Amino acid sequence: MSTRGLVARDLRVAVQGNEILKGIDLTVEPGRVHALMGPNGSGKSTLAFTMAGHPGYEVLSGSVTLDGEELLELPPDKRAKAGLFLSFQYPAAIPGVSVANFLRTARMAVRPDDLTPAKFRQLVFEKLDTLDMDPAFLGRYVNDGFSGGEKKRLEMLQMAILAPKYAILDETDSGLDVDALQAVGNAATALRASEDGKGMGYLVITHYPRILRHLPADVVHVMIDGRIVKTGGPELAEEIEREGYDRIRDEVAGSVA
Amino acid sequence: MPSIGAAADAIAFAPTAQILEDAIASLTRDGERGGGAVDAAVRREALARYAELPVPGTKPGRTWRHDYTKLRFDDLTWSSRRGTLPTAPVRPADVVQSADVMLSLSKHDQPALATENAGGLVHLGATYLAAPQGAAADPRAVVVPLADALREHGAVLAGVHGAIVDWRNDKFAALATAFQNCGAFVYVPDGVVLDAPIQLLFSNVEPQTEAVFPQIVVVLGAGARATVLERHVGEGEPLICGTVEAQVGTGAQLDYVVVQQAGESARLFMHRGARCGRDATVRWHLADLGGTLARSVIDARLDGEGSHGETAAFFFNTGAQHVDLTTTTDHAVGNTTSEVVVRTAATDRGQGRYFGNILIRPKAHGSDASLRDDALLLSKRAHIDSVPALEIAANDVRAFHGATVGSLDEEALFYAQSRGIARADAMRMIALAFFEPAIARFPSEALRDEVRTALDQKLDDATEIDG
Repeated sequence: MSTRGLVARDLRVAVQGNEILKGIDLTVEPGRVHALMGPNGSGKSTLAFTMAGHPGYEVLSGSVTLDGEELLELPPDKRAKAGLFLSFQYPAAIPGVSVANFLRTARMAVRPDDLTPAKFRQLVFEKLDTLDMDPAFLGRYVNDGFSGGEKKRLEMLQMAILAPKYAILDETDSGLDVDALQAVGNAATALRASEDGKGMGYLVITHYPRILRHLPADVVHVMIDGRIVKTGGPELAEEIEREGYDRIRDEVAGSVA
Repeated sequence: MPSIGAAADAIAFAPTAQILEDAIASLTRDGERGGGAVDAAVRREALARYAELPVPGTKPGRTWRHDYTKLRFDDLTWSSRRGTLPTAPVRPADVVQSADVMLSLSKHDQPALATENAGGLVHLGATYLAAPQGAAADPRAVVVPLADALREHGAVLAGVHGAIVDWRNDKFAALATAFQNCGAFVYVPDGVVLDAPIQLLFSNVEPQTEAVFPQIVVVLGAGARATVLERHVGEGEPLICGTVEAQVGTGAQLDYVVVQQAGESARLFMHRGARCGRDATVRWHLADLGGTLARSVIDARLDGEGSHGETAAFFFNTGAQHVDLTTTTDHAVGNTTSEVVVRTAATDRGQGRYFGNILIRPKAHGSDASLRDDALLLSKRAHIDSVPALEIAANDVRAFHGATVGSLDEEALFYAQSRGIARADAMRMIALAFFEPAIARFPSEALRDEVRTALDQKLDDATEIDG
């Protein structure tokens, strides 16, 4: 049995005693873009945080594996080392830590000793260029006083520099910001074209289908009320764009009844 | 030890009239071989004030481990001497950090000042150590023991020494005045701009338990610019109780840096004050890192129109350390500006208090003052009080105050962890970053790096770091 992929099996998760995820089965394949769509409150961000290891989420049952390695027993940093990356919807600020220092510390942690300082510097400038970012970014404190678009760009810069095996892009609300969407789309497209990133699998979490114009999905999953209720091709996203979630909700209700 | 007077010169210290008379007799006998720079009558008056003044900082409602009422001076010795270093401490190095360098001067033929290009004065305990050559400060400036200044620069000293720090109303400044046994005088004449810092090094090596009473006077003439660096190092267990008084002339700029890394059993009581003339700037930079008990008072009195005061200070109390810090910015006249940035942190059983005062006097219209203090607690048993006080008696002024007390930001920790950084490393990174707003104001990268390294070391030594 192949274990390749970022795989959730029967994942049930509670937050402060309330069960939010009620048995998720999902496989994100290497080299493919999976969209996870669903109405507000359906549990999409909970899935993202649970996979990344946020301490506020209690796993009731199930597993999450990355190319066969169980993630749920690992602290968040070990999950990153295993090759997982979460692009936050609302990344935290770390005043006093410069972007340059943070990037270097993260890269060293994820891939110890693989780059000399000079090579690392070269990599950073290369990625800055690809993302059309000002090198002055490097001297600023991480996310401190950043605009929404700047935060998103920094997330993408980190993704490009850490080159994970699987990236979860939590874009739940950023559908409202065209600039940010474009930054995400461009970054992922560039990374997919590079040697480092061509095998990467993506889980793009979104409420609105708009981001998928910038980063087209191969597979679309729909989550409602803590369950994946439907999986299909790109046409599923188009259907949601036309008709919203009501029809799928009705279908699901019908099949249960 | 090189040419330092015999231990027999030392007096068992106690803050009593009899001991003061013994001290005065010893100073009189030693004459130019001692460090006395305060008149006997003033000493007697100061001791009387010390006895009268109430113990500061004790408030009902909380039990502080270090209570000033329980101060004991047993085992301390008092002396006033001078010696000569065999060779000049010229080599900039980290060597000075290690206590045995000063202890074993004869073995290490090149003890060093830690700051590149810095000339200045070295004290071992209360003993002034003359450097034969090479470590002199910029020849355009005067940097001499305070006792020598009394003889040679009396006119410049007058109106500054004993006049900026109000020892009649500060118990520990009164004690320092009564028993003054060492000190320094720094004079930068009109228009002189110094490139290199002037370093005043106070070292106390194990097993010294000296009572060190330094008084430092800094005078900058019109348009002068200088950085003065006061350092406390060594593993001894001294009581260091002193004053720093700075007069900053018209348009002059003084950066006064304190890097306090005294031994872990040292106790320090330092009252530092500056008075600014027209368009003058004083910038205080304080890193209170060592000692078991440190009380630091910093005053910036803006006496001249257009003058500017800045204070950037931080402490990080580990083990059972206690630091009390008081900053007072006094806008005595109008169109004066000030900024205070204070970062306080504690872990283990560390305790601390910060009192931040801004005073805008009735005629100080158009003043602009800001005070920002943040406290970080890294263990459940650590405690920090922050007590801001703004007293504003003028109109048309701006006064900002902001304060926070908190622990490490869990979301920031998770964010860093999600980037592959282990939790312990993320905690270190975020805890060190907490001090940056204060560190960033220190006047050179060498100093900034030095205090970062010192904080890093303190994090290593701390037993509890939790979010």
